[in-house]
Amino acid sequence: MLYDIRQTTRYSYASPVPFSRQVLRLLPVAREGQRVIAADLVITPEPTERQDGFDFFGNHITTVAFAFPHEELTLETRARVAVAAGDRRDGEATPSWEQIRRQAVAEADLGPLSPVHFLFASRIIAIDEAIAAYAVASFPAGRPILAAAFDLTCRIKADFAYDPEATDVTTLPADAFAKRAGVCQDFAHVMIAGLRTLGLPAAYVSGFLRTLPPPGQPRLEGADATHAWVAVWCGRETGWIGLDPTNGVVAAEDHVVLALGRDYPDAAPVDGIIVISGDHQMDVEVDVLAISGSDAG
Amino acid sequence: MPVTRKETLRRSKVAADRAERLIANYRPLPGIADEFIGPAGSIRPHWMRFVESMAELGPSEVQHRFGQADRHLADSGVVFRVYGAENGDERPWPLSHVPFLIEPREWAHLEAGLIQRAKLLDAILGDAYGQGRLAADGALPAAIIAGSPEYLRPLVGAEPVGGHHLRFYAVDVGRGPDGRWWVVSDRTQAPSGAGYALENRIALSRALPDLYRSFNVERLAGFFQAFRTGLNRLNRHEETRVALLTPGPLNETYFEHAYLARYLGFVLVEGEDLTVRDDTVYMRTISGLKRADVLLRRLDADFADPLELNPASRLGVPGLAGAVRQRNVAIANALGSGLVEARAILGFLPGLARRILGEDLILPNVATWWCGQTLERDHVVAELDRMVIAPALGASVPGLLDRGAVLGGTLDPQRKEALIRAIGRRGTDFVGQEAVKLSTTPVWRGEGESARLEPRPSILRLYVARTNDGWTVMPGGFCRISDQPDARAVTLHQGGASADVWVLSDKPVTETTLLASPDKVALQRRTQTLPSRAAENLFWLGRYVERTEATLRILRAIAGRHIGAEYDGEAVIAQLDATLAAAGSIGETDEDATPTERAIAMLTDRSDFNTVPRLAQASRRAASVIRDRLSPDAWRTVADLEGLLNQPLEAETDSDMLERANAALRLIAAFSGLVQENMVRQQGWRFLEAGRRIERGLAIARATRFCGLSGKAGELDALLELADSQITYRIRYVMLAARVPVVDLVLLDGANPRALAFQAERIRQVLADMPAHAPAGLLAPADRLATRLAAELSTADAAALDAGDLLGFEQTLMKISDEVALAYFTHRRAADALDGGE
Repeated sequence: MLYDIRQTTRYSYASPVPFSRQVLRLLPVAREGQRVIAADLVITPEPTERQDGFDFFGNHITTVAFAFPHEELTLETRARVAVAAGDRRDGEATPSWEQIRRQAVAEADLGPLSPVHFLFASRIIAIDEAIAAYAVASFPAGRPILAAAFDLTCRIKADFAYDPEATDVTTLPADAFAKRAGVCQDFAHVMIAGLRTLGLPAAYVSGFLRTLPPPGQPRLEGADATHAWVAVWCGRETGWIGLDPTNGVVAAEDHVVLALGRDYPDAAPVDGIIVISGDHQMDVEVDVLAISGSDAG
Repeated sequence: MPVTRKETLRRSKVAADRAERLIANYRPLPGIADEFIGPAGSIRPHWMRFVESMAELGPSEVQHRFGQADRHLADSGVVFRVYGAENGDERPWPLSHVPFLIEPREWAHLEAGLIQRAKLLDAILGDAYGQGRLAADGALPAAIIAGSPEYLRPLVGAEPVGGHHLRFYAVDVGRGPDGRWWVVSDRTQAPSGAGYALENRIALSRALPDLYRSFNVERLAGFFQAFRTGLNRLNRHEETRVALLTPGPLNETYFEHAYLARYLGFVLVEGEDLTVRDDTVYMRTISGLKRADVLLRRLDADFADPLELNPASRLGVPGLAGAVRQRNVAIANALGSGLVEARAILGFLPGLARRILGEDLILPNVATWWCGQTLERDHVVAELDRMVIAPALGASVPGLLDRGAVLGGTLDPQRKEALIRAIGRRGTDFVGQEAVKLSTTPVWRGEGESARLEPRPSILRLYVARTNDGWTVMPGGFCRISDQPDARAVTLHQGGASADVWVLSDKPVTETTLLASPDKVALQRRTQTLPSRAAENLFWLGRYVERTEATLRILRAIAGRHIGAEYDGEAVIAQLDATLAAAGSIGETDEDATPTERAIAMLTDRSDFNTVPRLAQASRRAASVIRDRLSPDAWRTVADLEGLLNQPLEAETDSDMLERANAALRLIAAFSGLVQENMVRQQGWRFLEAGRRIERGLAIARATRFCGLSGKAGELDALLELADSQITYRIRYVMLAARVPVVDLVLLDGANPRALAFQAERIRQVLADMPAHAPAGLLAPADRLATRLAAELSTADAAALDAGDLLGFEQTLMKISDEVALAYFTHRRAADALDGGE
């Protein structure tokens, strides 16, 4: 599937911001099953310093500094990305979750996608026995990892209310779990906390969903903004599989990866030090248009 | 007087008896090695010598010497902040007066072991942040590296300037029951304690100079000198000195940061003193931005860059990680060096030493099993009761090991079960360690003839530095001693004391002092870098101290008028009270109180910002962040002032007030004297001086406005008193105080150091010598105001001055203060991130 993606993030500040320094993760990169045909980030006003590069996890980062007062900031991503349909994987054919737990710890690879980076508590996602107690129902002894993780994905979809008022961007997984409510970021964090507490490697993925569903299918939740889901490591052979607890689906052709990491801060689209005295408003618009169905390559 | 043989014998008999009493009840604990008594049960010879020397001194002399050492530490302000104590309380540093003695042969072994370990850990860091071969080959599990909270991913691939991650490294070692030295833990993040070790050394060597010399104790200065030279060599641009980056005065070891900066000749900076532009680090100084090439880091790495590391940090420098990647700054230790503090690594070190160095470890680790491996995990769970269970990768495991290590055997069944379940799921997070009981060393207990030595558990922190000649070990260290006879863990958070560590030499040792080091020989008189934050604190220190003085003088005048019961005392007191009110010194709540009640509140109350105790506190706070720039005496005076003013008054009488005010004013006079006589006339002094002169000018103008214009003799007398000018007046004019001559003396007489004209001229002079902020030949706004004020006062007519003129002078002084702030301190306002200093 070929997509034209357009994301516009507008900040307006109540009083002029004299100086800011930011790290942006707003450009998609090639990932397994995903090809970037063109991608561009337009920043208005023009920053004083701008550097493009890659962070540890291979995400494209743009580091900018504005050394002059500004009241508005607009970040506009335009990209054309091809997403492969991917093979339908048989969840029951993956190794048992206990095997995955042993294999992940024993991995010798330190590279960015090695499961060893995704086994531990992070700044936002703590090891959480309460969430593990909830998650463990999906993990009876010997169950194949993907089947178990998909079961957890669907349970979160069923048990949690999608409610943007319930949480905000700084909500911790434990709070969202206690409320059984939140948005995509919260569901992904809760699921990751459950998996890691059981000793399983799980990553946080941010990205886009196609805005309009294929004919005859319902529109997915989160299509009007940046979306987030989970990737679970299913062993060397199968690798990472995306699971979307907001929609209870496997992330495949409808999901475009923007960035990944251990938690939201690792993959946050905008990270920065803004010297600000007043309030600010942020407004995000996302359009993901499917322009063809087959030449995903 | 010659001493007879008989007398000598008698004396030595007394000394021998004393020595006998000192050690009579010394009983090593069963199953634990002891420093004093060797494995064969006899006192080790070097310790016996020590006991004999102490016995020869005699009990009263010993007490006197120990007291000297304690006073030295108290006077130099050696403190250790206790976290969690209310208001970050400081408590005096406890020194155990008996040093920890190490023989030459044993030291050689430790030294070789430490150097080997520094090499090894540095190599592991280089690999973890570089090629990752150790993980790929399975020599060190990738999960240990990836799981450490100190594995800082933005630094992966960054090669440190100078080629080494480690430059200053500390090891905690202890002697195990088998008599061998064991490494308990490694400190690679930002090791503390070396400054305290130096202070302990100075205190003890001064108190026991003869003993210190006769024992041939290895000196410490050479080590610090070599370390400093090594860092200075990395300073390529030399626009600033090497900077010591501190988290600030709230940190528990801030004293040490200030102390080391002073001792090593480095600039003490906080995160906000630095800024990154185009991947280059600059220091914000009063002369604009200056390149900073080398940072000695005492700030935890995670806090060092809110942009790429911990976003919650308010202490760091946004963009610092980027500057490191571009190799534009050298940081000691490199960001991310804390990685090798992970306990999980300990178990792999013997293998890593063979693989990397081709050698066996000289100093063994405490036996450690990482539960991320199946066999090791099963062993730990099976032996849980006999083991220490500790966090494998970080400082704690939330919910299970919140305070770090626990002894398995001490856990209640519920906690034990929870821990075993967690180890089963996430063995990665835990290690089991052998519970080692460390050796005991003598401490001095009791006084006089009942003094005796007792054994206490101890642990040594030893230091290794990277120098131009490779790795160098500090011949000494920091010994921590438990105050419990059977304590297993020795930490300062839990109480205890510290002792000096004497490394004994076979040969006489050579004297070295840091001051005579070869890299300092070049004569220098140029102004050293002054960070804007330091300048600002000096300026406010000047203002606060002077405001304290002015307020005290008014309070003293009020108290004195009650006692003197002068004829128009009440009216004068009302005017003095109004002066205080105009200075903003009296809060609204006090309006119903009488002037006397208000004066007592001003002197003792802490509720309002402008009361004397609060002003003294503000002075001390400003001084505390620039401690590296004040002499120990000057610092002590400011601290004493706060201490004095925070004691409750014995009784709220005028004479008590008078006494208190006089005592405080004497301390302020001492501070002024120290500043005037001891501070080199460099930029730092100018800011302090500008602050004092502005505040003094404000006080005298205000006092004149309220007490100098009515022409009443009582008020004029009070004004002369506030301006300390009664004697001059009486000598000049043999008459009652009269308006015009008084006003002339306290405002316009340029020869009177209390007069406004004198302040204006001094302000003009110090501003002129500050770094230029205006195009050549033009006056900056502050200079223009000061020049105009000085000229106006030198030409004014005392008879013609009215309240409006005086208010105008006060406003001008406040404007000068604002302009100085704008020109030199604006970095504190975020907006200045713009002013490039270009």
